[in-house]
Amino acid sequence: MLWQMAVRNLWRNWRRTLLTMSALVVSVALLILSLGVFSGMFADMLASATQQYHGHLVISRQGYQDQRQLHDTILYDPHVVEQLHATRDVLGISPRLRGFGLLSRDEQTQPAELLGIEPGRERQVTSLHEKIVAGKFPAEMLGSWIVLGRGLADKLEVNPGDELVFVTQAADGSIGNDLLRVLGVFDSGDFNRDNSLALVSLAWLQQLLVLPERLHEISLSISAPMEAKPVAKQLAMQLPESLEVVDWGRLLPEMQEAIASYDVSRLILVLILYAAAGLGVLNTFFMSVLERVREFGVLLAIGMKPSSIRNLVLLESLVMGGLSLLVGSGLGVLMTLMLSGDGIDLSRWMTAVTYAGGTIPPRLRAELVTDNLLVPSVTLLLVSLVSGYLPARRASRLRPVAALRGD
Amino acid sequence: MLRPATQCSVVLLFLALVFPCSSPALDLPALIREVETRYQGVSSHALVIMEIETAHWKRSLELESWSEGRDRFLARILAPAKEKGVATLKIANEVWNYLPKVDRVMKIPPSMMGGAWMGSHLTNDDLVKAHRIDEDYTFALLEEDDAGWLIEARPRPEAPVVWGKLVYRINRTPFVPVQISYFDEEMIEVRQIHFDRVEQIDGRWIPRRMLVNPLEKEERTVLLYQNIEFDLPLPPQLFSVRSLKRN
Amino acid sequence: MMSLLRLAWSNLWRNRRRTWITLAALAFSIMLVQTSHNLSTGVYSQMIESGVRAGSGHLTVYRGNYLETRDEKLGFNPQEFSEKLKSIEAVETVLPRIYLAGLAQSSRESRGIVLSGIDPLLEQSINPILKRLPASSGLPDMASRQALVGDRLLKELQLKEGSKFVVTLQNRQGEMVSELLRVHGVVHSGIRHLDRSLVMIGLHRAATLAGMPDEVHELALILKNGLGNETPAAEIAALLPGDRGLRLYFWDEAMTNLANAIKLDYASQQFMFLIILMIVTIGVVNTLLMAVMERTREFGTILALGARASVLHRMLFLEALILGALGLLLGTFFGSLATWYLVEKGIDLQNWIEGELEFGGVVFEPVMRAVWEPLWMLKIGIYVLSLCILASLYPAYRAGRIVPAESMRK
Repeated sequence: MLWQMAVRNLWRNWRRTLLTMSALVVSVALLILSLGVFSGMFADMLASATQQYHGHLVISRQGYQDQRQLHDTILYDPHVVEQLHATRDVLGISPRLRGFGLLSRDEQTQPAELLGIEPGRERQVTSLHEKIVAGKFPAEMLGSWIVLGRGLADKLEVNPGDELVFVTQAADGSIGNDLLRVLGVFDSGDFNRDNSLALVSLAWLQQLLVLPERLHEISLSISAPMEAKPVAKQLAMQLPESLEVVDWGRLLPEMQEAIASYDVSRLILVLILYAAAGLGVLNTFFMSVLERVREFGVLLAIGMKPSSIRNLVLLESLVMGGLSLLVGSGLGVLMTLMLSGDGIDLSRWMTAVTYAGGTIPPRLRAELVTDNLLVPSVTLLLVSLVSGYLPARRASRLRPVAALRGD
Repeated sequence: MLRPATQCSVVLLFLALVFPCSSPALDLPALIREVETRYQGVSSHALVIMEIETAHWKRSLELESWSEGRDRFLARILAPAKEKGVATLKIANEVWNYLPKVDRVMKIPPSMMGGAWMGSHLTNDDLVKAHRIDEDYTFALLEEDDAGWLIEARPRPEAPVVWGKLVYRINRTPFVPVQISYFDEEMIEVRQIHFDRVEQIDGRWIPRRMLVNPLEKEERTVLLYQNIEFDLPLPPQLFSVRSLKRN
Repeated sequence: MMSLLRLAWSNLWRNRRRTWITLAALAFSIMLVQTSHNLSTGVYSQMIESGVRAGSGHLTVYRGNYLETRDEKLGFNPQEFSEKLKSIEAVETVLPRIYLAGLAQSSRESRGIVLSGIDPLLEQSINPILKRLPASSGLPDMASRQALVGDRLLKELQLKEGSKFVVTLQNRQGEMVSELLRVHGVVHSGIRHLDRSLVMIGLHRAATLAGMPDEVHELALILKNGLGNETPAAEIAALLPGDRGLRLYFWDEAMTNLANAIKLDYASQQFMFLIILMIVTIGVVNTLLMAVMERTREFGTILALGARASVLHRMLFLEALILGALGLLLGTFFGSLATWYLVEKGIDLQNWIEGELEFGGVVFEPVMRAVWEPLWMLKIGIYVLSLCILASLYPAYRAGRIVPAESMRK
């Protein structure tokens, strides 16, 4: 009975209904979009912290990450890798070996950090393969290829195809040296890294450093990077005690701070947005009910109970709210999807931004996160219910005569 | 490769430059110079076995070395086979390495001078700074007895050395160094070089064995002189980047 | 016209509550946008100030492509013109600097470093990294062996204050040269790679060591009032000798990271402003439309009495204008109030975050302060006013199309 009445009311006044709904639709859609953009920037920051080098989690011997001692190695056990793969949340696994030494070509000699990787696996953890500016990223592990940072390539004056010598002290104390052929040059945007890092084949580096079957670390990417810490804890329990699992927050404490401060300022912005959107919705719903005080007076006069009136308004708000949320979040998702992918490119105005040890690509990009859908929808629905209900309650308490007068 | 630097003048002992053998007097700088130049001649040619022990590995290298004056030094690895032909050339303040496997000569950049020389507890910088002992230090006699002397070397106020002091123990007869201790500024002993197996070679007394001990680690480098000859004519082009490549 | 204005005014206040709510939304958004703009402008200029003071100045002189290559050979002798630069009214000071890659050795360890030669007295009055030091630990003079060392480097070399270390580098002539230095003070910039590699000594000693006496790599100009429209860049550039490949750079060219970090942040903020303004506009359109629909009968009557639709249009336009103007006044009032608070008190981020705040490679003060940007505040007010007027178009159009007979039947 009440239900029918609500629908009839809405239908009869379809203009007002549409108008009221439009406020909610637009607010929800825009809110979802802007939350999506914030999430996108946040993801870019997080990715810059983790995908350029470290990964989300790193398994290594206790103390290796602080000292980077050549001898603190772990065994490359395919069984462990498989076990890790089977672990929930783990997306990618990259076994790595690291060597410090001199890269040289003709007159130029530069100290460098060589990271031995399996290209196929490394792709699952870091995004250096997307940062190639000359030549290419290796397709397979075998061979004596090297992919080096742009700064390093410039200092050594090498291009893809050129030969380089690497020399270092191997794990048995011998002088390890070999020729490498430049396959590609990457530009991560991080000046320090581009000046010192080079990627080589894991097998090649194992042989050069006389560390067969050994690794320094296993780098992991996981599905929920913000949950890295608990996942690290959980993994550590499965692994032998001599190993430690370090999350990205510990590897990049500055980045963690930067992200925390970004989170704070994002929180402020989100609150402001909610306030703006909520106020808009409140405004509209409040008014649309206020307008009808006279109508409620009539209903009261013909004997309708005040509580029924309140329920009627609530029901109407609910119907309008529900419908607008459907349309609005649909619209919001659509806009978010349009801005996901590569987003709005800002590279005409700026280059990549180095930020607390990470590098953020210059773009406005949105990312779809379920929280960004649910929270605004539920919040704004509540706002619309409250802002419809309050004036309705007030109206239902009026004496019919006063209401009819249209206070 | 980036082994902590331990810089000293020890390579001087390993290099070689002649200094006329004078009678032991209390001219301390002369005394020290004399100790430091024990292994030296106008030129020298030596066969040395270098044994290196670290926490993780132990290895032995056979080296052939030549020197001329204070500024020129060349060393080439004879064994093990894997590293045969690897060579180091020092001219004045600069150091080059030759790598036969890739047939390349590499100049050591300034930022890598602290790196270990051929994996030992000597650094590239040790090679370069080897000849500065009497310029950089002033000396004081701590003890003198029938056995020999104990001499303290204090760096001059502005000398570019990292040590707080060095202490030399020198034997009177035969006139050879026994031990050199390296102290930091808080006078904590950081490194020791010990000499023994004294034998007469080519008319002079030479400790055949030299031990380099960084005291804060369980590690050491031992140099064993198999053979050493002095004052022989060396071809002038021996100490050149070009000759590094030739064997 | 006056009567129409009065009519519009009284129309607005016929439904007082609705008008107040709309006004609140308008004013609130204006306040938010104005305040957050003022705040971020303040924070940006704080960042730029501490950035240029710790970094390469508001304006910087380099030779050739030193900025990109950091080629140590690209030094220059600033003697003949640096005095002239200093005498320019807007210039607070001119900081000569030299940067040399080298090796630092202690009795335990060795590390690759960047040795920078500075003018300690000048630098200490400007550079926030040095300002944090206790007064006594500033560098004594240009030729001193006393060095300021990054805290991480100090730890890695196992050094203490007062202890000595040796720096080795390759000089201009290609020789390896070494110099004894002493740790005079410990500096902490908060930027990891700096704290791990920074050694600062007097300019003269560094330049002499590098075999390039009297030369510098960088001349950082600090301006009294920061960068603005009156920056005498042309005047300064004209003082540089033309034949030595010297060029004047603005801070955003010399420190692209900081400039870009700010641009990116501002881009996302502008995006947010856009969203807020859109939401506000929808709110105003709603209010006006509803007001029109509510008054369908009334408008119908007016039209039936022979008034032209254009009168209705104008009346609604005036209603929107009044609404917008009131919103603007209220919003600006509250925006000014909030800005005033943020200028006077600021927001202390230390309550939220531990440690330093780094942004675009520069550590900045943890208290965020706003600045007054009255022109911008006015601009946003005019935007909102225009939006209100735009928002009245459709409702006015609807009102004009009311068919009198139909509306009166209701």
